[in-house]
Amino acid sequence: MTETLTKTETRTELDLPWNVVVHNDPINLMSYVTLIFKKVFGYSTQKATEHMMEVHQKGRSILWSGARERAELYVQQLHAHLLLATLERE
Amino acid sequence: MEIARLEDGAFSVTGLEEPLVDFLKAIIPSCDPGEHPGAHDRLYPSPQPHGATAEAAGEDWREYVQPELEHLFASAAAIVKGDLKDLRVGGVLTIPAQHVDAWLNTLNQARLVLAARFDITEEAMERPISTILSNEHEIALFQIHFYGFIQECLIRGE
Repeated sequence: MTETLTKTETRTELDLPWNVVVHNDPINLMSYVTLIFKKVFGYSTQKATEHMMEVHQKGRSILWSGARERAELYVQQLHAHLLLATLERE
Repeated sequence: MEIARLEDGAFSVTGLEEPLVDFLKAIIPSCDPGEHPGAHDRLYPSPQPHGATAEAAGEDWREYVQPELEHLFASAAAIVKGDLKDLRVGGVLTIPAQHVDAWLNTLNQARLVLAARFDITEEAMERPISTILSNEHEIALFQIHFYGFIQECLIRGE
């Protein structure tokens, strides 16, 4: 006698995270951009500087990834500090 | 002109000659984007790159977020305006420690609006600073660099 085993797999698709992207603006001072990254994200000077240099050299940098609501809050804070920032779906 | 950090964290600006006093007094008017669409868009950029969904997101942003940003920018500018109230040639400008964030924000507003209104390019920013200001474009470029110098002093002193 054969038994038929039925295996049920449940796959949960996680929501794709949202990226907070900062774009280059030739007017903003590099020191100012670094300061704002530290203030908004709590990054160390080194990490903030690395992101700032990526913005400067490549035109953009992904500063944070995660849930949409928090990403929107970060973009709003960056806009409040007059940085060019957008939300992008990963 | 000299900018020095005091023991209590405030900044003292001395050596205020007439042209520099005029440029300091121009900070607040320079923050006003007026009807210039490029200047307005730079102060209130869209939160998403261009596209159909970006239009919808931009509308929500304009309705809910932009008023808050307008209030925040105006509040910062009001603090700076207060600090500049008694500014005079040969006098001393004091920036209290608790006003530094407002100064950084307002100076950046002015720099970005001037850059948008006068089409200041990255190339123009990289040219040596001219002290012979023969037209509005040259004056705006000098202001952007001058306000940037003040920002740099405030940031380094923090």
